[in-house]
Amino acid sequence: MPILSDQNHRDTIASGSDTVNSPLLETHGLGRTYKTGDHELTVLSDVNLQVAAGESCAIIGPSGSGKTTLLGLCAGLDSPSSGWIRLGGQRLESLDEDRRAELRGRMVGFVFQSFQLIPTLTAIENVLIPLELRGLSGKTREAADLLAQVGLQNRLTHYPSQLSGGEQQRVALARAFIHKPAILFADEPTGNLDAATSEPIIKMLFDLNRENGTALVLVTHDPALARLAGRVISMRAGKIVSQGERHESA
Amino acid sequence: MSPHDSPSSVAPRKLLPALIHPWVWTMAWRDSRSQRRRLLVFALAVVSGLTALTAIRSLKETVETAVDSEAKSLLGADLHIRSRQQIASDKLAEVIRLSEDYAQETGISSMMGFPKANAGRLVQVRGIEGRFPFYGDVRTEPAGAWDQMLAGGGVVLEPALLDQFDLKIGDIVTLGSLELPILGVIVKPAPRSNRFNAFAPEACLSLERLEETGLTGTGSLGFRHLYLKNIDPVQVAAIREQFAQEGWKFETPEDRRDSIGKVLDNFQQFLGIISMTALILGAIGVAGAISAHLARRTKSIAVLRCLGCPAKAAYAVYLVQSVILCLLSSLAGGGLGMILHRAVLEIFKNDLPVAVSMTPPWGILIISVLIGFAVCLAFILLPLSQITIVSPSMALRGESSASIAQKGKGHWFKSLIVRLLAPGFLALMLIFLAVSNIPDTKRAFGIVAGLGVVMLLLWLISLAIINGARKIVQPSWPYLIRQGLSNLHRPLNQTTLFVFSLGLGAFLLLTVLLARHAILEKISLTGTQDMPDIYLVDVQKDQIDGVTTLLEKLKLPLLESAPILTMRITSVKGVPVRALKEKGNVPEWVLRREFRSSYRAGLNQTETIIAGQWPSGNLRGRDTVALSLEEEIAKDLSVGLGDIIDLDVQGLPLKAEITSIRRVDWSRFNLNFFMLFTPGILDDAPGFTIMTTRIPEGMTSGELQRLLVRDFPNVSAIDLTLILETVTSIMEQIAWVIQFVVGFTLLSGVAIIAGSLMNGRDQRIKESVLLRTLGGSSRQILSILLIEYAALGFFSGLAGSVLAMGAYVPMSLWIFETRPWGGFAYPVVITASATALSILAGLALSRGVCTHPPLEILRSQAST
Repeated sequence: MPILSDQNHRDTIASGSDTVNSPLLETHGLGRTYKTGDHELTVLSDVNLQVAAGESCAIIGPSGSGKTTLLGLCAGLDSPSSGWIRLGGQRLESLDEDRRAELRGRMVGFVFQSFQLIPTLTAIENVLIPLELRGLSGKTREAADLLAQVGLQNRLTHYPSQLSGGEQQRVALARAFIHKPAILFADEPTGNLDAATSEPIIKMLFDLNRENGTALVLVTHDPALARLAGRVISMRAGKIVSQGERHESA
Repeated sequence: MSPHDSPSSVAPRKLLPALIHPWVWTMAWRDSRSQRRRLLVFALAVVSGLTALTAIRSLKETVETAVDSEAKSLLGADLHIRSRQQIASDKLAEVIRLSEDYAQETGISSMMGFPKANAGRLVQVRGIEGRFPFYGDVRTEPAGAWDQMLAGGGVVLEPALLDQFDLKIGDIVTLGSLELPILGVIVKPAPRSNRFNAFAPEACLSLERLEETGLTGTGSLGFRHLYLKNIDPVQVAAIREQFAQEGWKFETPEDRRDSIGKVLDNFQQFLGIISMTALILGAIGVAGAISAHLARRTKSIAVLRCLGCPAKAAYAVYLVQSVILCLLSSLAGGGLGMILHRAVLEIFKNDLPVAVSMTPPWGILIISVLIGFAVCLAFILLPLSQITIVSPSMALRGESSASIAQKGKGHWFKSLIVRLLAPGFLALMLIFLAVSNIPDTKRAFGIVAGLGVVMLLLWLISLAIINGARKIVQPSWPYLIRQGLSNLHRPLNQTTLFVFSLGLGAFLLLTVLLARHAILEKISLTGTQDMPDIYLVDVQKDQIDGVTTLLEKLKLPLLESAPILTMRITSVKGVPVRALKEKGNVPEWVLRREFRSSYRAGLNQTETIIAGQWPSGNLRGRDTVALSLEEEIAKDLSVGLGDIIDLDVQGLPLKAEITSIRRVDWSRFNLNFFMLFTPGILDDAPGFTIMTTRIPEGMTSGELQRLLVRDFPNVSAIDLTLILETVTSIMEQIAWVIQFVVGFTLLSGVAIIAGSLMNGRDQRIKESVLLRTLGGSSRQILSILLIEYAALGFFSGLAGSVLAMGAYVPMSLWIFETRPWGGFAYPVVITASATALSILAGLALSRGVCTHPPLEILRSQAST
C-alpha cells in the first residue's frame, strides 16, 4: 500500500463537514508593506482568505500582484504589516519565528519554483529532512518508498546536481509530503519545467494532495494548471479581485 | 509513531541542546561534504601560524627549563665577581674565606703567534687558576688537556684556530714572551661572561703562565674574574653591599638565569609577534572561508527554516562545522609545532649552552592549541552570527543576504548584542594572545594596536581599490581589461581577503628585509675610505715609536693615536655617586662605568662642539682640569658647562670642569671618547695607547699581525674587517631565523589566497562558462582571469609594500640612523613576486575552465 494513502495523520485537522466550518487557513485584513528608504511599497492590502482542510486552491495574477507575498505570509515565512493569519487554529503573528518554524515542520509542506533542494544532500537525505528535524529517525524506508512513488527509485543517492529539473521537482514533492502536512504551499511548481516534464509533476501533486487529504495552495501563472484546483483566486495589485466557487478538483 | 505525534527529540530551539543533538551533527557532516577540501585549505592558514607559535613557545619553554635546572653549570660557580682591576689580596682573602672553594681568571684580548704558520691573530685569552668550573664540565680533545693546562703545561685552543693555521696538537704558539705547546682543543668551553669571544677565538692557559707572558700589566685591556663555590646567599648580599664601591660586577646563577630569561623573552617577543601575526592572518582566512561558506549556504539555511528548523539549530549546524575546523586546525598546528620544536632541538642541541630535554612540553602544546582554537573561534563568530538573521522567506525569492534580515520586535537589539559580542570576544582574544606571547604588557598592547592599525589600513586600502576599480574603469577601455578589472569590485569579489592576506604577508616580509638592509647598510657605511680598519691596542709608551716605525715600514698610514686612561666618576656637582645611585636620576651604568678617556689638543672629523669651547675653555676653578663631555652622557648626568665632575683615575683623584659639550658620530670607527681632556695634565698617568691604521685595498692584515706578534707581543691588532664580517654573519643568521618565521606568515597568506581563489573560482567559472557559451575564446577568458589575478596580486603587494616603506622611513631615520631611500629594490621585487604568485595560483586553480564542456562545469558547480 502506498505510504501516502495512510489516512491516520489528521490529528490537527477537523474532518468531514467541520473542515468547511473551521478553515485550516484563514487571513483577515492581511497587508504587507515594505520600506525602502523614504518610500513605502504596499504589496498586499486587506486580503481575506479561507482555505479548508483538503481543499485545493490556485492563486493567479500578473507578476507583482502579491501572490508569492501572500503565500509567504500564509506559510509563516514573513510577518504581516497588518491583519492576521490563522493556520491550524493558531494565530501566526503571535508566534515567534521558532514557533512558526515548528508549526511549519508539523503542518506545512513546500514546493518551490526553483526546487530548493539542499545541494549537499542526496535525494533521500533531502526527503528525510522534515522528519529528522522532528526527531523521527529510521524512516529511510518510507522516504525510499515515497521516492519510488514519484518514479525515482533509482535515484536515491544522487545529488541534486546529478538530477534533471523534473527529477529535482519530484524529490521536492516527496520532501513536501513525507511528513504528511495538513497544507501544501506550492509556488509556481512547474515554472522552471517544460510542458512535457510539467505534466507528470502536476499529476503527482494533485494525486498526493488527494490521497493525503492535504490542503493545497498553489501559486501559478498557468491558467490551465489553475483550473485543476478546486478554487481559483485572482489577484491584482496586492488585492484579491475574485475568489471562485469551490468545486471538485482534478 | 505517526509523524504527527509530538516527538521527544525535535531539533531544539536553544543553542546548547542543539549542539548535542544528533541531527545537528549529522547535518554538519553532510553539509560539509562538498566543501571539506576548500575549508581545509583555509585551515592550513591557521595550521601554519599555530605551528610557528607552538614551536617558538615550546623552544623557549624547553631552553628555559634547561636553564632553570642547570643555572649553576651555566655560571660554573655560586658567585662570579668581575673587575677591571686586579682584586687586591686583602679583599680577595676577605671574600674567599666565605666560600668553600674559589677560582680566578684573567681574561684579556691578545695577539697569539703561530710560528709554524708564520702568522698571528687576535685571541681571547683566559688565564685560569683553580678547579673552575665547579658545576658542569669542560670537554676537551684529548680528554685530559684541561687538567694539563691548569697544571701549566700549555694552552688549549678553539678548534677553529687549528683549522685556520693548519696546526696540530703539540705545535707551539707564542703568547707575549712565552712559547707554549697546544695541549688540545676545546669541545665544550668553561662558562664565560665575555661577549668578545664571538669576534676572537678562545685560548685557555693557567693564570700563572699568563702572568709570565707579561701581558697582564697595569692598564691593559682585561678583566679579572673570581669564582666562588658554596657561598651563603646572605653572604652574597653582604659582599655586594660591602664592595659596592669597588666597581665589581656580581653574578649569581639566578642572575645568569634571569639574563638568559630576558634573552629568551626577547626571542619569544620578537618571533612571537611574527608567528602571532601568522596565526591572526590564518584566523582571518578561516573567518573568510566560513563567511564564503555561509554565503553559499544561505539558501539552504532558508530552506531548512522553511521546513521547520529552529534558527538556533541551523546556527548550531554551522557552529559545529566551524568548531571542528578550528579544533582540527589547532591540533594540526600544535602537532606540527611540536615536530618543528623537536627538529630544531635535534639540529641545534650541540650549540646550546645547556643540555635540553627532547620531551615535548605538553603544557605548552595544550595552551597553544587552546589559544589557536580560541582565536580561530573568535574570528568566526562574526560571520556565523549572520545565520541567525537568515529569513526563511529567502527560499521563496532570490533575495540577497543583505536584505534577508528579519524584522520584528526586539530583533535589532538581539542583532546588536550578537554584533557587539563577537567583536568583543575577538578583541579580548587578540589582547590575550598578545599578552601571553609578549611579556611586556605595555608593549603587548602597543603591538596589538600597531597590528590593528596595519590591518585597518589594509582594509581601507582594499575598499579604496574596490571603489577605484568601480570608478576608474571606463566603457571605452578594451573589453578584456574592463572585464578583468571590474571583477575587483563585482559581487563575490576577493579583493579584501587578497589585500589582507597577501598585503600583510608582503608588509611583514618587506619590513624584515628593509630592517636587515638598514643594518647592513649601516655597517657598510662605516667602511668608507677614510675610516680606520685596524686598531692597535695596548701600545705602551715605550712602544709608540717602534709601532709607528713598523707601520711606516709596511707603508701603512697612522690614522690616529690616542692615549687611554681608565677612570670612574666619584661625584657629580658635588653629589657623591652613592647618593646619585640612591636618587636614581642618573642611569646606573654611567655611575658604575669605567670610562676609557683620552687627551688631545683638537677634535677629529666625527666630533662637533655643540656648547662651550675646545680646547681653550676658561676654567672657573683653580684646581680643575678642562673636560669635554659627550652630549648624551652630559644629558644622562644632567650636567652643563661649568659643572664639576670628580673622577678617580686609577686611585688618583681628579677634579674636572666641563668646558665643552661634544656631539660624536659613533657610527664611524674613529677613536672617540665620552670624556676628553687637554694634553699636559694627564700625560704621566698610567695607561696605554691605541693607534689606528687602514689596510689598503687588496692587502690583508696578516703581515702586520705577524710582525706585531714578533716585535710587540703585548700589542693587539683588532681587525675591524673581521669584526664587521662577524657582525654581518650574525646579522645574516638572525635575518634567516626571522625570515624563516615570516615564512609561516607567508604560508598562511598563500593558504588564504588559495582558499579565496577556490571561493571565487565558482563565480569566475560560471562567468567564464557563460562567456564561452556566448562565443568567447579560451584565450579571451584566460586573459580576463590573468588581468584580474595580476591586478589582485599587484595591488595587494603594493599595499603591503607602501605600508612597509611607510614604517621603514621613520625606522631608518630614528632607529637605524641611515638613509631612508635605500633598499627600494625590495618593494619592487615583493610587489612583482606578489603579482606572480597571484597569477600562478589563480591560473592553477582555474585550470579546466577552458577545456571542459560548459554544461559539465555548470552542473558540478550547482552541487557546491
